[in-house]
Amino acid sequence: MFAEATGAMFSVFGDPYLMGLILGTTVIGVIIGALPGLGATTGAALLLPFTLTMEPVPAIAVLTTIYVSATFAGAITAILINTPGTAAAAATCLDGYPLAQRGEAGRALGIAVVASTIGGIFSIIVLAIAAPMLARVAYEFRPPEYFALTVFGLSMLASISEGGAIKNLIGGLFGVWLATIGADAITGTERFMFDNYELYEGLNFIPVLVGMFALSELLVQSKSLNTVMERIPIKAVKLPSMADYKKIWKAVLRSCGIGTFIGILPAEGATVASMIGYSEAKRWSKTPEEFGKGAVEGVAGAEAANNAATGGAMVPTLVLGIPGSGTTAVILVGLMVHGLRPGPHLFTEQIDKVYSIFGAMLVANIMFFALGLFAAKLFARVTLVPRGILWPIVFAFSVLGAYSLAQSMLDVYIALIFGVIGYLFRRFGFAVAPVAIGLILGEMVETNLQNSLKIFDGDWTQILVQPLAAFFLILAVLGISQPYIVSYFKKRKARRAQS
Amino acid sequence: MTNLNDSNRAAETSPGTDDAEAGPTPGLGWGDYCVPAFIFLFCGVISYVSTTFDEALPLIVGESMQPRVFPIFLMAVIAVLNIGLIVQVLSKPPSRRDWEPYQTWASAVLFGVFYFLATFVDIMIGLMVTMFALSIIWGERRVWVAAVLAIVTTAMIFFSFDLVLEVRFPRGLFTDWYYG
Repeated sequence: MFAEATGAMFSVFGDPYLMGLILGTTVIGVIIGALPGLGATTGAALLLPFTLTMEPVPAIAVLTTIYVSATFAGAITAILINTPGTAAAAATCLDGYPLAQRGEAGRALGIAVVASTIGGIFSIIVLAIAAPMLARVAYEFRPPEYFALTVFGLSMLASISEGGAIKNLIGGLFGVWLATIGADAITGTERFMFDNYELYEGLNFIPVLVGMFALSELLVQSKSLNTVMERIPIKAVKLPSMADYKKIWKAVLRSCGIGTFIGILPAEGATVASMIGYSEAKRWSKTPEEFGKGAVEGVAGAEAANNAATGGAMVPTLVLGIPGSGTTAVILVGLMVHGLRPGPHLFTEQIDKVYSIFGAMLVANIMFFALGLFAAKLFARVTLVPRGILWPIVFAFSVLGAYSLAQSMLDVYIALIFGVIGYLFRRFGFAVAPVAIGLILGEMVETNLQNSLKIFDGDWTQILVQPLAAFFLILAVLGISQPYIVSYFKKRKARRAQS
Repeated sequence: MTNLNDSNRAAETSPGTDDAEAGPTPGLGWGDYCVPAFIFLFCGVISYVSTTFDEALPLIVGESMQPRVFPIFLMAVIAVLNIGLIVQVLSKPPSRRDWEPYQTWASAVLFGVFYFLATFVDIMIGLMVTMFALSIIWGERRVWVAAVLAIVTTAMIFFSFDLVLEVRFPRGLFTDWYYG
């Protein structure tokens, strides 16, 4: 099995079609990532319809390539115009832009490219080793354990960076409610359909995701049309010097571990990883006073962590069917659309496909390294595309993408409605990623709860006495209370420091 | 321009911080007070609708829950969380923010225009009109650029979806002529 898996992983290098596809997608991913407002999640949601006619492996390769390349590319604009192309690059701005202001944009980009590539490749190695091991454990899971695990996944929404704990949980539960629309999976009872039989099998994920991510972002972007971008010129991207390597290697290694671990946690993603990677780089630095003024360790710490989270986030997505981030929620939909049902069985029944996907991610990391090094200057120019040109195109791709899956106008209306709902969510400080994650976990939560109740003849307390289920539920309680516990200790520490 | 200053980014917090530390909540002052009220209303309506679901027949093996139970349970949890939200809003009133610029309102209205045109005229014509109008509203001063963008992009997307992805679009003025 090991030989088969390794062979499948490296077979990507010998497949010209797949290599060409990954190269093309990497270019698109870097452009998407460099454009402020268009992140990996939106990019994956917009490209998903184009993968429908592809075979499963190339289709998922496209989505994962967008994920890794767009996550990296956020750093380009973070460094050159102090605007993170993706939320995951927000921490990169803190030191990347000051470096660029000092005339060291090429050095900052070089460090970002190297750190991102190391982080990405490290996490894929962990993914390739850890995922089958976790799959073996997940074989033992029954409905009560799966139910508890999905509750744990939802609880982790409390600590993702945007929104705030309560708002994220409300958003997540709203997403779970959306998943109840349609016929009940066990009894077939119609719920919230209002006599619309196109909704019998529930809301299609793609229109909801397109609306929540792409169309709502269009409305958000319409608020900042008058702001002027100041772009710092760059001559060429420079690879880090030996002195730079000496300075950053510890931060990169630390962030690789942090990013992968954070990515593996259900619902956590690259944004959280990069912030923790950055703050840990600062905490362990010999010169923390340089942070915020152009510390190369800051750029390396944030970038290694956010790309390491991409591989990490694929672990729960593939093994448990629980998205590790907003983008992996879209990838999860892609897997299901192409008949690859995520879960432990994927690792026994279709191991060749799984490892080909890992191989594609590996290739994507290598390709964005080359593109970042030699073409970052060119990609930085995409920020000059007027928004009056860019966003109408995004609108067109969004609505037709929403239409194309089921070829139903209802999906277009759903995308438009969720565009407005998504905007209102963001307007009032709610993040949209929890809704997407809740929507995808919704069916899992309810079906596993129903099956658990069937096993225990309606006695829900029996779920609590199953050791593994109880363990996950305790983790869920800790996940929900964690932001408050951390906040309490921070405040106490601050009070002590004051007194 | 910086996304960090956008309203959606403004709510970003460092990990491990709660809402109270999240900085100013984006949105109008009154709007933020209305959000919990709207959430309660939403929970009430959904719970009521849930009570109207048909009762499921007993299962042959084991006992599970009625289809109405889970949505009502979700609404109950959301309502409890909403109380926490109210406490937060009261303990730290959100800062007042400006109204959206006209471009945002106009873009949202264009969603409705697209819906109307796509339903009653033709999806492609709807797309062209919406793209053209969006481009102009968003500041493109050269009308011909907006027109070329709308026509060329729509045509390219239409043919790529039709010929490559084999997607058939709903019948309308243009598609009737194209499909015959």
